[in-house]
Order: sequence, then structure tokens, then C-alpha cells
Amino acid sequence: MVENRRLGDFFAHLILIAGVAIVAFPVYMAVVASTLDADTIANGQMGLLPGSHGLENYRRLLFEGTSYTTRAPVYGMLVVSLISALGIAIGKIAISLISAYAIVYFRFPLRMIAFWLIFLTLMLPVEVRIYPTYKIVADLHMLDSYAGLTIPLIASATATLLFRQFFMTVPDELAEAAKIDGAGPMQFFRDVLLPLSRTNLAALFVILFIYGWNQYLWPLLITTRDDMQPIVVGIKKIVSTHDALTEWQLAMATAVLAMLPPVLVVVGMQKMFVKGLVETEK
Amino acid sequence: MAGVLLDNVAKIYPGGVNAVRGVSFAVPDGGLCVLVGPSGCGKSTLLRMVAGLETVTSGAISIGARVVNDIEPMARDIAMVFQNYALYPHMSVYDNMAYGLRNLKTPEPEISARVRDAARILELSDEMLKRKPRALSGGQRQRVAMGRAIVRKPAVFLFDEPLSNLDAKLRVQMRVEIRRLQRRLKTTALYVTHDQLEAMTLADMLVVMNAGRVEQVGAPLELYERPATTFVAGFLGSPPMNFLNGKIEAQGLARMENGEALAYDAGHFGPPIGADIIAGVRPERTSFAAGEDGLAFKLELVEELGLGRLVHGRVGAAPYAVALPPGAPLPPGETARLAIAAGDVHLFDGKSGVRL
Ligand SMILES: Nc1ncnc2c1ncn2[C@@H]1O[C@H](COP(=O)(O)OP(=O)(O)O)[C@@H](O)[C@H]1O
Ligand SMILES: [Mg+2]
Repeated sequence: MVENRRLGDFFAHLILIAGVAIVAFPVYMAVVASTLDADTIANGQMGLLPGSHGLENYRRLLFEGTSYTTRAPVYGMLVVSLISALGIAIGKIAISLISAYAIVYFRFPLRMIAFWLIFLTLMLPVEVRIYPTYKIVADLHMLDSYAGLTIPLIASATATLLFRQFFMTVPDELAEAAKIDGAGPMQFFRDVLLPLSRTNLAALFVILFIYGWNQYLWPLLITTRDDMQPIVVGIKKIVSTHDALTEWQLAMATAVLAMLPPVLVVVGMQKMFVKGLVETEK
Repeated sequence: MAGVLLDNVAKIYPGGVNAVRGVSFAVPDGGLCVLVGPSGCGKSTLLRMVAGLETVTSGAISIGARVVNDIEPMARDIAMVFQNYALYPHMSVYDNMAYGLRNLKTPEPEISARVRDAARILELSDEMLKRKPRALSGGQRQRVAMGRAIVRKPAVFLFDEPLSNLDAKLRVQMRVEIRRLQRRLKTTALYVTHDQLEAMTLADMLVVMNAGRVEQVGAPLELYERPATTFVAGFLGSPPMNFLNGKIEAQGLARMENGEALAYDAGHFGPPIGADIIAGVRPERTSFAAGEDGLAFKLELVEELGLGRLVHGRVGAAPYAVALPPGAPLPPGETARLAIAAGDVHLFDGKSGVRL
């Protein structure tokens, strides 16, 4: 029996390690490639070990940009990405919190209709409504602006439903106790509901930040200026240079830089994220 | 300090459920009034109307001299203790108790003094004040919930089955504490429970409810000794009163369904001859007769309670229980005769169940 268990463990680990290798190897190769010089890659002499041009590559990329298609420094792209990802995540959370609060705790006319309308928008992600949305954003002169990058992506049925489910598990007596304690609706929201939603907020923030960070189609469509494009769009432009040679070492460095912030967010908020997914604190 | 007055209060929920149907009674200032009745009879609804958590469909509720029907809960000068405690899970015990006072813009030193005062009365240690509610036992949470109520120094305490989530032993202990606390603070209290023993032991004044109506109001012993209806008679007391159907044969004598006679105290205005009646006798007021007189009883089961014995059986077809004091002998055989004093027989109308 013990032998069997060991064998089982061994195979389980083997498979897991193989899985990790399959996922991690390309990432490793990207890191390696970002430390080589242009010639080494162009000649196909790329090995498994990092080269010595790492610092130089990253410095040039961050502050000067590539030589061809996009000349904007990646530093600017990171800022654009960060601002819009934060804007989208925070905006989505704020709006869904408030709408879920309204739907669960207030009796107003057409409440159920409002709920179902929100529900319906689940079927209308940006990709589906891209033309009308573009038209509106263009008419409002929001092209090439942070408002244009974030606002159309902020409404979120998923997050609203999530908070609605959570609020419905909060015992009614808590709201009643707060009422007797003299807390008005906004005070109850701020003093009781919000702190109780803390872990849910954190989990949702991680997911939405990554969602915002990874936006590609929408920013590609509405940004024309180099200094208003997020890094995910930037990678693509660095890679496709048409007539000139792609600077692969810089493209890879951009990819590495694009991966870092989401990774940092996940690592930084891991504890709360897991708590938010598994634990309900009531 | 204020009394509570309910004048023909009714509640119809939006769905059409008629939960409370015209309830009137007055709780004197400083009194502890217990609302008791089976589950679903409208006790919580009534209490929540007093708290201001439900609207009043018709009638008037007054606290002190003021009709409070349209006043916000906070402005009613009440505090409520919920069955599931409803403590704010993310706040420390201290903050839970302080929250209401902070909303009233009470100065912090005053809050601190009041919370510590309440904690001392309820025997909550300083260390416990720093904990979150989930790090407390059920009994301690219950105390915190009471602490939250008393720091406000309200005119009226409202309790909705505050002990139902505790185990039996703790329930008895907390029951005594609530009683002591209420006596000490002399604050008017309305207390809801479905447990008749809790109701009997706590109440200055007992209100028995059934299906949205008040069956009887009075002091616990008064209700126990002179129940106004078969409902009250059957609800108060454990084991409950025994009921036997019969007819009046002569003044002071009823003929029961099994054909035997039962003597009762005729009083001044006895029911007319021939009337259908229900005779009620408490198990502890029944014993076994030595002779051949009395109702025939068929023994079915004996329960040992330590405090005595409970003998279950039948009189005719009706179930009948006899509570024997410790040491009293059991009847020798399967059948016996019951000794019932005429003064211990309660008579109720055969149809309406109202006391005759
Ligand atoms: N919010 C509500 N909406 C509709 N009906 C309700 C509501 N709350 C209670 N009821 C109904 O009112 C009646 C009395 O309920 P309740 O006051 O909670 O009884 P109790 O506390 O005596 O058990 C029950 O029939 C219950 O189903
Ligand atoms: Mg109830």
C-alpha cells in the first residue's frame, strides 16, 4: 500500500511538474530573449541562458522606445495600462456595489426590471456592442482619452450579481440592528456592508484588474496616439514591423513588463483573494 | 422611562397575511411584559412594530405619552435584542456596543464610561471587549447583544426570543440574569418567546397570543390559575392541562364522555344543565384514588422525571396525564381511579373553549 502511495505521489508530481514546465518554459524563454542583443536572436543563436544585454534592453525600451513602428517609450504604455486597469477595476467595483445595494436593500418602482436589465447586459460585452459604443465614444470626443479607455468597460453585470448574492446572505437583522442603532442607509453601507465585503472586494479587484490590464481590442480601436496606448496594444505593434526586422529582444522585454503588474497584484493580494473566494465572514 | 400602550394594533403584510388582528394592552412603566404564543402567532410582528421595523397597518402604538407609529426606530428610544444576536461581525465587542452611541454623537469619554459600565454589569472582561464577536461563545454573544441594548439607556427594551439559540442550561442561567438586570435597571421591557416556562418565570405581565389575537393578559400565576380559554389552559404549564369533554348533568356535576360523573365547583353562575363543556384538570392536581370512586384511568406509560413521575394514560378515549410527587406510589395495576377535587376542575364552553 505504502509503495503504491509513493508511486502515485511520484506520478502526480511528475505530471504537475510537466504542466508547470509547459507553462513556465515559454515565459522563461521570453525573459532570456529579453536579455540578448539583436544579432544573437536574428542569427538564431539563442540559447537557454540569459545574455548580458538585459539592463541595456530594458532601459532603452522603458525610456526611449523601439526604433521602428512605435517610438513611444514603454514606460508611458505602462502608465496608460495602469491607469486604465485601475480605473476599470475600481469603477466596476464602485458601480456594482452601489447597484447591488440598491437592488437588495431598497424597494423602488421597477426594481425587478432594473435587476433584469442589468442581468441582460451579461449578454452584451464590448465586443458585441463595439460599433455603437465606438460611435458614442467618438461623438462624445472621448477617443484617445482615459475616459474613453475606461468608462465603456465599467458597467458590470457579473460584479453586480456577485455583490447581490453576497448582500443577500447578510442577515436582515444586521440591517435592522443598524437601523435601531441610528445608522442611515449610507452609514449602514459604509460602516457595515462595505467592511463585510472586504474579502469579496479584494478577490474581485484582482480579477477585474487583470481584465482591465488585458484589454486589447477596445484600446486598439479608440486610441490613435502612441502616448495613449496600453502596453498590451504596444506589444503587438512592436512585433509587427512589416518591412523592418522585428526587435525581438525588445518585444520580449515588453511582454515581460506587461506580465509583471498582474503577477504583482495576484501575489500581493493572494491571501485576501483566496479568503474572498472560500470564506464568508458573517 | 416610559410605559408602552398598544391600542387595537393590526398588521396585514403586503402579501395579504393578517399577522396581527387588533391587539390592545398596556405595559406599565418598568414592567417586564412577556408575549408568548406558538410559532407564527404574530409575536415577532408585534414586537417589530413597536421597534419601528414594520409599519403599523392600523391602530396606535404609544411609548410614554407619544404615539410612535410614524417615528423612526432610532427616535423611539428603544433598544432591541435579536434571536441571532445580530452583532456586527467585523467590529470589536467594544465597537459593537459603542456604535449606536457614536451615531448619536455621544462624546467618546461618555461612550467609554457607558460601555465599561455595561461590560461590568454583564461580566464581560476588558480583554473580551477587544475581541470580535466570532471569538465569543453563544452566551457571551448574548451578553454583548444585551450590552449593546443597555448602553443606550433606552426607555424600552425589546427582546425577540433572545435565548432560543442557547443550550438548555445556559438558557436558564441567562433567563435569571435578564430578570435581574431588568429589575436593576427598572426599564420597561417587552419580551417575546414561544417557551411557556421562560414566559412564566420572567413575566410581571403575561400576554398569551394565538393566531394574531390576544387570548389573555395578566400576571403569570393568575393566568395559570384561571385561564380564560382552553388555549391558554393548554399552553401554560408543562405537562399541559388535561381536557375531557362532557355535559352538565346537574349544578356541580358533569357527565363525562365515558359515562362517569365528575364533580366541579358550581360557583355563582354555573353553566345551564345540558350544556356541552370541556373540563380541564392540571396533571399535578390529580392523584390516584384509594377507593372505587373517581374517573376510570387506563395506565399506558410512566416517565421518571427525578422531580417526580409523569403517568400517561387514558380516561375513556381521551389522553390524560397525572403528575405524581416523588415517592408517591404508582397504582398497582393497569387501571386505576382518579381523585380530582371539585375546586381543581376548570370548566370551558364545549364549542368556543371560553372559561365558564
Ligand atoms: N415579512 C413578512 N411578510 C409576509 N408575511 C410575514 C412576514 N413576516 C412574518 N409573516 C407572517 O406573519 C405571521 C406571524 O409571523 P411572526 O410574527 O414572525 O410570528 P412569531 O414570531 O409569533 O412566530 C406568520 O404567518 C408569518 O408567516
Ligand atoms: Mg418570531
